[in-house]
Parts: sequence; C-alpha cells; structure tokens
Amino acid sequence: MRRLNPSLVAGGLIVGLIVVMALVSFVWTPYDATLVDPVNRLAQPSWDHWFGTDKFGRDVLSQIMVGSRTTLFVGVVAVGVAAVIGVPLGILAAMARRWPAEIIMRTNDLLLAFPALLLAIMFGAVFGASTMTAMIAIGIASVPSFARVIRSGALQVMRTEYVLAARAAGRQPFPIAIRHVLPNVTSLITVQASVSFAIAVLAEAALSFLGYGTPPPTPSWGRMLQESQEFLFSAPRLAIFPGVAIAIAVLGFNLLGDGLRDRFDPKLEDRR
Amino acid sequence: MKSSLIRGTLPTRTVALVASAALLALTACSAGSSTSPGSSPGGDQSLSVGLVAEPASLDFTTTDGAAIPQALLGNVYESLVKQDESGKIVPSLAKSWTVSPDRKTYTFDLVDNAKFSNDKPFTAADAVFSINRVKSAWTVSLKSAMDVVQEAKALSPTQLQVTLTKPSNGWLFRMTTRIGAMFSETGVSALATTPVGTGPFTFAKWNRGDSIVFERNENYWGTKPFFNQITLKYFKDPTALNNALLTGTINVIGTVQAPEALSQFTGNDKYQVIEGTTNGEVLLSFNNALPIFSDIRTRQGIRQAIDHRALLDTCFAGRGKLIGSMVPPTDPWSEDLTNVAPYDLAKAKSLLQASGAAGKTLRLRLPTLPYAISCGQVVKSQLEQAGLKVVIDQQEFPAQWLTTVFKNADYDLSIIAHVEPRDLGAVFNAKYYTRYDDPTLQQYLAAADAGDEAAQIDNMKKAARRISEQAAGDWLFLLPNLIVADKNLKGLPQNAITENFDLTRLARS
Repeated sequence: MRRLNPSLVAGGLIVGLIVVMALVSFVWTPYDATLVDPVNRLAQPSWDHWFGTDKFGRDVLSQIMVGSRTTLFVGVVAVGVAAVIGVPLGILAAMARRWPAEIIMRTNDLLLAFPALLLAIMFGAVFGASTMTAMIAIGIASVPSFARVIRSGALQVMRTEYVLAARAAGRQPFPIAIRHVLPNVTSLITVQASVSFAIAVLAEAALSFLGYGTPPPTPSWGRMLQESQEFLFSAPRLAIFPGVAIAIAVLGFNLLGDGLRDRFDPKLEDRR
Repeated sequence: MKSSLIRGTLPTRTVALVASAALLALTACSAGSSTSPGSSPGGDQSLSVGLVAEPASLDFTTTDGAAIPQALLGNVYESLVKQDESGKIVPSLAKSWTVSPDRKTYTFDLVDNAKFSNDKPFTAADAVFSINRVKSAWTVSLKSAMDVVQEAKALSPTQLQVTLTKPSNGWLFRMTTRIGAMFSETGVSALATTPVGTGPFTFAKWNRGDSIVFERNENYWGTKPFFNQITLKYFKDPTALNNALLTGTINVIGTVQAPEALSQFTGNDKYQVIEGTTNGEVLLSFNNALPIFSDIRTRQGIRQAIDHRALLDTCFAGRGKLIGSMVPPTDPWSEDLTNVAPYDLAKAKSLLQASGAAGKTLRLRLPTLPYAISCGQVVKSQLEQAGLKVVIDQQEFPAQWLTTVFKNADYDLSIIAHVEPRDLGAVFNAKYYTRYDDPTLQQYLAAADAGDEAAQIDNMKKAARRISEQAAGDWLFLLPNLIVADKNLKGLPQNAITENFDLTRLARS
C-alpha cells in the first residue's frame, strides 16, 4: 500500500477548504460583503463580526469568503488560458521539424523574458483595469512555462517505441499528438496547472493591490490589502486577514503541485 | 515583486517562504512610485511638493482638468488680476484699473517691466492677444466666460481697454482664473509641453508619469520666490504620497488623500498640518439629458437616499464640510442648504418607486481618484438600499474620464470634485457634462451677473437654492484643504480658494 503524500494531503485540504468557502459564499455569507455600514466602521473582531469590519463598515469575513471566488475564478481562467495555448505549443514544438520548433521556442523565450506583472500592468493600462484583463494577462504570462514543460515531456514521449512504431506505420502527426503524446503529458499538465494556479493567485492579488486588477466594490484579497494600508498602525488586522488568506492559498496550491508532482513521478516517489 | 516568483515551479523548501512573503511583497509594491528629489541643485533652496492627478497636458486652453492651472497658474502664467487669500481681487500684471459708470468699460494700467520667459516684454498688445485668443483658439468650456467681451484694445503699451457687451460682475472675477492668463504671441506654439509665461517660475521639464520641475525666474518683474527650484511630484496612491513625506522624498503633501492616516503627522514635531477649506465641491453628477433623470422624483430620491454625514465619515474620515449646493462657505452668497434634501431612506424609496426608477440599473463611472473610488462604494451601497442598481465602472483619470464622461457625457452618475471658484453657472448648464438645462436657473445667473452687488448676492442665493431644490446633482461634501509639510516651511495657504497651488510664497523659516 502506498504511503500518504503529506504535501498532497495538506495541499488538497487547503485547496478544498478554499473551494468550499467560495461555494458557500454563493449561498451564504455572514453579511452582504459589499454593504456599507457606517455605524459599524472599523469594528473590532467580535461575535457579530468575527474578523471585524473595514473602514466602510463591511464585514471582513464576508469579504474574505467572497474574495475567494475572485481568487479561484482568476486562477481557473488564467491557468485555462495558459494551458489552452501553452500545451499545444509545447507539443507542436516537440513534434515539429527543427526550424519551426526553434521559432516557437525562441518566441517562447522572448515572452518568458517579459516580467509577468509588467505585462499585466500594460494590459491594464491599455484595456482598463478589470478582473478579465488581469486573468488574460496572467494567463498569457504563464504560457511559456506551460509550453516549455510540456515540450520536454512530449520530447520524451516522442522517443518511446510505441510512438516510433506509430510513425513507422504511417500515422499522421495530429493523431499521434492526440492519441499518444497528450495522454502521456497529462500528469505534467496537472502539476504545472497547480503551480501556475498559485502564481496566478499571487499575481491577481498584486495587481489588485496596485489598482490594475479587480475593481471595487467586488471583494478581492489584494484590494483588501491595498485598502488596509491607511490602517496599518491603527487596525493592522485589516491587512493581516487578507494577507494570511493569500499566503494560505499560495501555500495550498504549491503543496498540491508538489504533491502531485511526487505522485506522478515514480522516481521521486521511490526516493521518499 | 520579482518575475521569478511568477514563473516556473517553486520547490517545496521555498513554499513556506513564498507564502509568508506574500504580504510583505505586496505591501512593498506601494513604495515604488517616486524617486529622490536630491538631484536638484541649491540644497535648501529646492523643494518638492507631492500632488495627485498629474495633468494630461500642460495646455489648459484646449485640455480640461484642474491639475493644469493648479500647477501653472500664478506660478508660470500670470493674469491681469488675481485673488488674495480672502477672495478679494487684487492687482497682478495690472497695477490698477478703472471701471466706467455704465460698468461696461474696464481700463487697466499694466506693469511696464514684466517679461515672458522667452524674453519678450509683456505689453498691452499681449493682453489683447490673450483675451482675443480665448474666443478664437480655446476649446475648453470655460472659455464662454469671455463671450461678454466686445472688444479689447491696447491704448498704449501699458494701457489696456476692455469693453463688454453688457455689465458683468463675473467677468473681472473670471480674469483671476485660467481664462485670464496672459500669453506671448510668440509663445503659444507648444503650450501642451512648453508653457511660456511672465510668472515667478519658469517651466524647466516634465517627466511624464512622475514630476514637473519649475525654476525660479531670475528676470521676474516682481518679488522673486524663495526657492530656486520646485518639483511637483505626482502620486497615484495616497499611501505612497504619505510615505514620500515620511521618508523625506517630498517636503509637502499638497492635498492629503488618505485622511485616515493623518495621525502619522499630527503628533510629530517634524511636520505641520494645515486644515482649511477649499472650493472643491465633491459632486455626485447626474446625466440630466437621460430620460431617467427627467423626472425630478428620481433626482430627489437619489439625493435623499444618501446619508451625507455617514458618507463623509466613511470615505474622508469626517474631514470636510457638508454642503447642500454648489457654493462653498467662502463665497458671499453661501447659505446652509443641507436641509433641502435630508437623508430619508423611506422617502427616497417612495420617490424612486413613484418615478419608476426603482430597480433600474445606473452606471456610476468613477475617475480613478482616491476620494471618488471611496465615495463611489458608499454611494452604490446607499442607492442600492433605496432600490436602485448601481454598477461601478472605473475610468482612468484624467484621459479616459475626461473623454468618456466629461466630453461625451457617456455616463449615468459620476463623482468628481469641482475646484474652480464660483463655478455654479459653469457646471450646471446644458453644454456641460451635467447637461442641466434650466431656463429659470439661467435667469437667476444672468440677473446676478448684471446686477449690483446686492442683486448679485440675492440672485446667486436663488440659483444655489434652485439647483438644490431641483436636485440637479448631489453635493456629497466640500473637500477640506489638508496640507502636511515640513515644520520649517511657511507660506502655505490656510484655505485653497483659487485654481492654483501658490508656490511663490513658500519659504523656509
């Protein structure tokens, strides 16, 4: 019987908790997360408001719950964009002849040299700050890492005997890619998606913090941090709660990614 | 935030480090919007002033927005007359002036030793050129204040005569604002990037996205300013602005945008905090051309749905003053109109129901200015409690907001501070972005402009009450003049009642 992988279990639990919190927030939150309540502004944590309230009197716990939706939504779409573009590019680069492959990978390197946040800020400046802009920018910035990882996996698959046999039998490249290569790089896609998810969470928070991400009043952990700056000395909890939420989410997705990598890689599994 | 954190896989050992660094890394992102002013020569003779909302252009003849006159008027450009801190009209490039008995002809005696920064002497011909150019070449809506001028004539190099089509109380006052700025005929070819004026400072350079630098005009005809170089540094993030003063990057916060954090300075011996009043009416504007706003019950319902005291406490830490119309307390016709539309949620709901607006969706297009974003969230929440649906749409300020909201009037609701002095008539008319077409209001304004002082005050009071009772917009509050500066700096204004930030009187004690 296989030993339980602690990273996988911890990561899975944390991510599961965030997903449950986001799902619950669709049907229940302690208060309306965007309801301004001047009478209760800057309230300390209490039984009424477990995490207290912000300068608008909004319940911080409710905002954290609804903010998890933004976090997951951004992660899913950004990773989706990156995977949909990056995976085919990686497989194509592995299967193509020398020059086309070189062009794909050098273009990939060019994009890799571009700082992701800078790209996202540029998108925000051109198309306006929004969750959608942030998601697409983060997704595009994650394409190179997907393409590179998938290419290396696909190259290994292309050298296997069953692929060589398929090619010798005259099978066309596209059916080979779909039938043989793609299924064999699925584990790589899963691991990369998990790691990219953590990166997307952090990037969205950074963009919202800088004013290029999710606009108000939609709750976002990054913007909660940004709005808490005025109160770092008088009400530091306003920074601590969303900060800890971001840290836990990033930790969870990274642990999950590490755990999945260990799970899918027999060599690493044996070493443990 | 390093790009290496964004890409690639993170080994297990670094996971905890990454997670715990998230908060610190994000917090660090706010500090990077400025550079040290230490490069300016002259040691103590230089000064750095922190402001928000960098201008989109330096040409206020074709570009709207308060940031341009704030920086240039009185500092680089001068007008014939100006306002002192009490609001009184006093000489500037005109040493004195007389008004004919029929109040239609003004004769100005001009100074004879003023020079533009392009070395051309200032004469009455330049004044004629400047006045005529407002009518012929300016494109901003404020130019209409010059419509009343029939003719401007140079009687001699130092004597100017201006004839009006009718008596106007407002014209001479308007000459203290940007439309009164004096230009050189040979200095208007590149106003957007190279302003040429007679002022105590000359324009040195504009580092877009960061700062504008002025240098002392060594050929200035009047009293030369104390500082030989002043840098206006622009910040988008109010906390970064506060931090810049705390770290010595700037010497003055020209307009505090994060009043909640003011306590950092109030108890600190290194700084002085000035709190006064301004002309900045923070207006929740309605697009009165839209059918939904044609029903007065909708407009009144919106006004009565907003708890102004709670809003001021929430989005500006209770600083500022509640006003019920477009008149600051420093104007002679100011009266308390806050009781015209008091907060009454039940009444607001019934008014919105009766007008059929309840349940409708309104776009609240906000400029990306800290106070507007904060207040917008409160307004949205309060209007939704009254039965409206409000969608917030941020518009990058100044460029995007000026185009979408101000120029094209493509909005339902917006929030912005109108800082021009005595701007009731300019803001509430059919051509302005408020699209407020009210013949009765125009009658009051015309009577105020034409009458004697008592008639002016009486009719301006009627005008102010009219727009309040008709709910032409909603006045959220009056911005306070909140300045924080190094303790040894003097000459800072207690009240900001003009369009410009006066740098000429600043000095170190």
